[in-house]
Amino acid sequence: MKTLKYLTIIFASIIAIAACDRYLDQDPYQEISEEMSLSTDRNVQAVLVGAYAAMNNQNLYGGLIQTISELLAGDGEIQFVGTYSGLRQIFNKETLVSSNENARATWLQAYRLINICNNVLSALDVVNQGNKARVEGEARFLRALIYFDLVRLYGNKTYIDGDTDNNQDLGVPLSLNPTRGNPNAFKIPRATIQQVYDAVIEDLTKAANLLPLTNNYYATKGAAQALLARVYLQMQKYALARDYADSVIRSEQYSLVPNYADVFNQNEKTTEDIFVNKFTPQTRFSAMTEYWSVPQYGGRDGDIDILNGHLNLYPTGDTRRALFFNGNGAMRSGKWNNQYGTVVIIRLAEMYLIRAEANFRLGTAIGDTPLNDINLICQRAGLGPNYYTTITLSDILLQRRLELAHEGHKLHDVKRLRMNVGTRPYDHPKLTLPIPAREIQAYLPVVLVQNSGY
Amino acid sequence: MKKICSLIFALVLLGSVYAQQRKVTGTVVDASENTPIPGVNVLIKGTTTGTITDANGKFEISAAPEDVLMFRLLGYKTEEVLVGAQTQLSINLFPDIETLSEIIVVGYGTQIKSKVTGNIAKVGGEEIKNMPVPSVELAMQGKAAGVFIESVTGKATSATRVRIRGTTSLSGGNEPLYVIDGIPINNEALNLHGGAINPLASINFNDVESIEILKDAAAAAIYGARGANGVVLITTKKGKKGEATFEFNYQRGVSVASNRRDFMNAEEYIKFFRMAGRNADRYEMRLDNAPEEDSINYDFWQTFVEKRLKRYSGHAAILDENGNYLGSAVNTDWQDLVFQTAKNTSVDFSARGGSDKLRYFTSLGFTEQEGIVISNGFKRMSGRLNLENNAREWVDLGVNMTMSVTDLKQINADNAFANPIQAVALAPITPVRDTNGILYDRPTTTYYNPLRHSEYAHRKINEYRNITNAYANIKFNKMLTWQNEIGYDLYTLKENHKLGELTNDGQNGGYGFSNYGQLQTFVTKSLLDFKGTFGDFGVSAIAGTELLYAVRDRTWVTGERFPMDAFITLDAAGSITEGKQTLEKYSFLSYISRATLDYQEKILLSISGRIDGSSRFGKNNRYGFFPAASVGYILTKEEFLADNSTISFLKPRLSFGKTGNAEIGNYRHLGTFTSTQYNNVAGLTPYNVPNADLTWETTNQYNAGIDFGLLNNRLTGEIDYFMKKTSDLLFEVPVPGVSGYSTMLKNIAATENKGFEISLTANILTGNLKWNTNVNFSYLKNKVTNLAEQEIVDPGSSRFMNVLMLGQPIGVFYGAEYAGVDPTNGDALWYVNGPNGVDSLGNRLTTNQFDEANFVVLGSPMPDKMFSITNSFEYTVAGFKLDLSFMFQGVFGNKIHLAGDPYMAASGEWFDNQLRSQLNAWTPTNKNTNVPEARLIFANGTESRSSRYLEDGSYVKLRTVQFGITLPKSLLNQYKVNNIRLFVTGHNLLTFTKYTGWDPEVSSDAFVNNLRSGIDFYSPPQPRSLVFGVNMSF
Repeated sequence: MKTLKYLTIIFASIIAIAACDRYLDQDPYQEISEEMSLSTDRNVQAVLVGAYAAMNNQNLYGGLIQTISELLAGDGEIQFVGTYSGLRQIFNKETLVSSNENARATWLQAYRLINICNNVLSALDVVNQGNKARVEGEARFLRALIYFDLVRLYGNKTYIDGDTDNNQDLGVPLSLNPTRGNPNAFKIPRATIQQVYDAVIEDLTKAANLLPLTNNYYATKGAAQALLARVYLQMQKYALARDYADSVIRSEQYSLVPNYADVFNQNEKTTEDIFVNKFTPQTRFSAMTEYWSVPQYGGRDGDIDILNGHLNLYPTGDTRRALFFNGNGAMRSGKWNNQYGTVVIIRLAEMYLIRAEANFRLGTAIGDTPLNDINLICQRAGLGPNYYTTITLSDILLQRRLELAHEGHKLHDVKRLRMNVGTRPYDHPKLTLPIPAREIQAYLPVVLVQNSGY
Repeated sequence: MKKICSLIFALVLLGSVYAQQRKVTGTVVDASENTPIPGVNVLIKGTTTGTITDANGKFEISAAPEDVLMFRLLGYKTEEVLVGAQTQLSINLFPDIETLSEIIVVGYGTQIKSKVTGNIAKVGGEEIKNMPVPSVELAMQGKAAGVFIESVTGKATSATRVRIRGTTSLSGGNEPLYVIDGIPINNEALNLHGGAINPLASINFNDVESIEILKDAAAAAIYGARGANGVVLITTKKGKKGEATFEFNYQRGVSVASNRRDFMNAEEYIKFFRMAGRNADRYEMRLDNAPEEDSINYDFWQTFVEKRLKRYSGHAAILDENGNYLGSAVNTDWQDLVFQTAKNTSVDFSARGGSDKLRYFTSLGFTEQEGIVISNGFKRMSGRLNLENNAREWVDLGVNMTMSVTDLKQINADNAFANPIQAVALAPITPVRDTNGILYDRPTTTYYNPLRHSEYAHRKINEYRNITNAYANIKFNKMLTWQNEIGYDLYTLKENHKLGELTNDGQNGGYGFSNYGQLQTFVTKSLLDFKGTFGDFGVSAIAGTELLYAVRDRTWVTGERFPMDAFITLDAAGSITEGKQTLEKYSFLSYISRATLDYQEKILLSISGRIDGSSRFGKNNRYGFFPAASVGYILTKEEFLADNSTISFLKPRLSFGKTGNAEIGNYRHLGTFTSTQYNNVAGLTPYNVPNADLTWETTNQYNAGIDFGLLNNRLTGEIDYFMKKTSDLLFEVPVPGVSGYSTMLKNIAATENKGFEISLTANILTGNLKWNTNVNFSYLKNKVTNLAEQEIVDPGSSRFMNVLMLGQPIGVFYGAEYAGVDPTNGDALWYVNGPNGVDSLGNRLTTNQFDEANFVVLGSPMPDKMFSITNSFEYTVAGFKLDLSFMFQGVFGNKIHLAGDPYMAASGEWFDNQLRSQLNAWTPTNKNTNVPEARLIFANGTESRSSRYLEDGSYVKLRTVQFGITLPKSLLNQYKVNNIRLFVTGHNLLTFTKYTGWDPEVSSDAFVNNLRSGIDFYSPPQPRSLVFGVNMSF
């Protein structure tokens, strides 16, 4: 009897244990393995969607990339009055330090996007032939888009055409392969400004050849060419800028929206939009709304006041002036009042402005004359068909400033045109973001060089 | 298994060899309760022959008439009886009234306190009963040496932090494992919004018989990979043989915030910000190198201030005929509006009794505690049924079951604008309501007016919890029992929010949120338990297996665009903005064994080993082995001390053990992508960096202690020295962001906790006036001993300054050292420190550029010394028994980061109402101050990572005072009532501290994690309570 009992125990224990061991193998439900993610056509395309989701992030094109540019170059036209200390530092510049939380957040999210693009580009072999060109083109476009902004925001100097310093001044680390294994192995040194621009142009040139003309909300041939126009303009390579802008305009894929106000706060892409960042209630809200708008539209407190210094630049009757509104005790930009709408990244009007400026500088009239291009923009702004009868470079630049106000171009134009921000010249070290302190720490003992102002 | 069996048989056989003479049988009973006592050693004096009594106190032994039988059991006085002609003995054992003879619950069993060789602190149920706090661990505050307990904030629903012998983990859990009646329970909050709530608050602690805290590894190693943070064993009240005893407790009281801070009034506010505007303009001139005569052009900020003052004054603005601002008609004290006098009520009813075969304990309880902050409160209803049944001679069955429902009114986390405390940031010139009686909001208020949440938001959490365990203990013979048990902890949480259109998040036609979370924990275990005495040797051993399997799932939905505020369910939402479900599972499979051995009950030895496997660990490290060993020697049992009149008990002990910490999250060893979406299309995105080596954190703990009793045990105590070395610490190691990741979870670091604990109990007076004093003191030194190759891991935050640094405590504050104010211009100064910190003459250099100040260690967030002292008095007069006890408790040596002060003590950087301390700001006529010049917008010394915002967090609190009157029995007997005690309890009545924040006992629920602690950010203070109540039994 006793033996039987003991046997029962032993037997029961064995059964119990044998049955239990399988409980130790638990696979996640909300995640899948890295290998599986890059194993099929469908999965790689899903990772590509992930790249757009990363781009959508508030720390990138969801608002911060544009807002940093406007705030860092903010002077007399806007006033930051919000409480986010990071943004306040950026606006004040004097108090901007290497631990700035926005400089950190944008940096981290940018490289996150880059790694996703690198992952997609590493797995093109499994993508179906019919999708391959488009998938590669989109990944290259997104990678170029973010590198271009990284080098402009974090590069130690601005790009000056023909200056050999471009080959010495530090841009940002250039990571073109996916991160595998220990991320600590990826202590990539900062590439030169020239190297980063080269990589951007290579990606965009390839993307422009690979991408289709239309592609829903995703990158297109037009988007790649438009971005090339923007890149070459920044590099003061006006002929190339002009030709790409002209090519986009003549592609007949885009047309100006009749009313300026209808360019913004849209739920869907407009005919003028070349590339947008799309928000839906399922993503987070646009940070452009958060920073620039007021509580009734989902904004914060009205963190950025638009000053008369800006408002007085508009001529009477300008519908672009009419878009500003009084909210929470000050004038606000009316471009960002739809928190779940589209945030425009590149639109057709910019192409006209690039073509006009480049043609003017080169004394050419490829596509159309600068006068006609600018008058087209002015006409849409409610200023009549022939607002200018003759045109100067400063007219063109003024129209550019008004047309594209508060869309994230300010800092880059200041640097390109070698203007001042207050008393600071365009190459003042505080007009560049610091390399985040956390990144310098994480690189140790490898030295990641800090920018000269920090 | 076979070996154990044959050993048992051999030993049993050995015992019977000597049984030659005649058979003597008998029963041993407890003289005071007249109940049989099992497990009594029956020994023939001068020999090693003996036996032990069975479950019914019966024994059988062969003895000669001249033999003297000794009956020994710890906790009882030893009896000696000459056998003589008797064959049937009836022995009464008298309890030995010593604290050292208590029964102590240990992992997977019980032991007598004097035989314990590990370090275990016991808190009796009576000690925590009726405490006006929501949860069991808060009721234990100060009751055990070396155990740090604090409520994260003063919210009624707040999570708690419990640290047993210091913080060990950087990324994993630091909370101890909680085990109720043998079942490890979930202590994970499932709410998604607001600060983490406290799942332990769903347990009614008036049901608790005792709490044992396993502190050293010898005690905790039996819990293996989950024991490194210590283990809290909670044992609930069980039935008692005899007529039913009913107990009824009722109490009612009030709580208020234990402290207020001193903010500017309307007049001061206006004056101060006008000055800040003027100074901002002047500062801008200085930046631009503009000559003084240009000052007429520098009036931007002064104008700005006037506009803002007018705006913030709303309808209360007083203007002159030109529209210039003169002042406000109101002086609003926002702080006063968010605190409330909170009522609390607790009713509790229980019954216990039973027959020989079946014993029961059952209870019902209701507790309601309003928060000291508006819109905050806690309610709990609970019931319990514990049954024990001696079903057959060979099997005992039992079940412990509790069910509880809680109903929480939850407020936002500390960092949210809707956190009521953030109302202190609003201007005192702002009226509370507009002319229509609606609470003002932006743009009239500086920020969102959190009072709106109290009128337009519903935020509710309900928890439903059932913890049940059932067991069958099969007795093969007197020595060997097979214990089988299953346990189930079903924890369900419902979190529902509806924010009206007038709230900050409800502007899109209202906002609704519903979260349903559930965590189920199944435990099954099977243990063989052996207890026996072989001559001078007492042996007990367990061996068995345990499987724990947990499933956590959550589903949540959010929606917007409700037709009107009156709809509070998501059914009415015009658009569903988010809908998610997540599911996670984890498991532990464990093999458990322990053996304890004593020689003549004076030399004690215990060894244990546990093997744990878990789904949380990487493939390469799936199973871990956690051994422990301990020895003790009761010197007072040796002849040279046996009759010592001073030393009545003395037991040195030593222990070593290895424990693990498996609270590392699930699935973290896998390299994964997770789902995401863009433009309503699903996508994938990199999520976790793979690490197949990922494993538990290992703690090796050494403990040397001594238990003693002096002067007939009138003074008893324990002194322990310990060293906890934790290695393989997991840390989210910052990696180059260029990799596309920001951190990676790795077993890289090591820490050490060293210290000592002293616990003393003195029965100072024992006559009619009884006076008992209990003192706990502990000292703890924590330091990081390894950080892989790094000297420092600094997350690089601009707001928080906790870092990991070699040789320093975990989360040490690291920032710029504030050097006061430059008397010439009012600029904030910091010491330069670092290599260029001194000039050639050795003078310390200062700078007004924050970035030029090298960071230095500024202090530790964790206290290194803790103490508590409790005095209890009892005095009987005219049949009335009066009792009084009070406990002072304190912590020393820690700093607190006032992370909210860069907004409220910010030299007027922005329009947040400022603390009155800022009135002492630098001016040309007030140069000798450490408050920098007030400057709107131009931050002057408001960088958060500075010792300007760090203060000493040491405190001593009069934690509890209790006064009770027990009515005379003579008065009660006629009403068939056994006992009535009326009492009044005060909680947190006094605080002694230099800290200028609301409460030094605080850690913001929005920011605190393992690394970041000691942060005060608009966190409400602990409640100060006064409670009246009655205990009655009949």
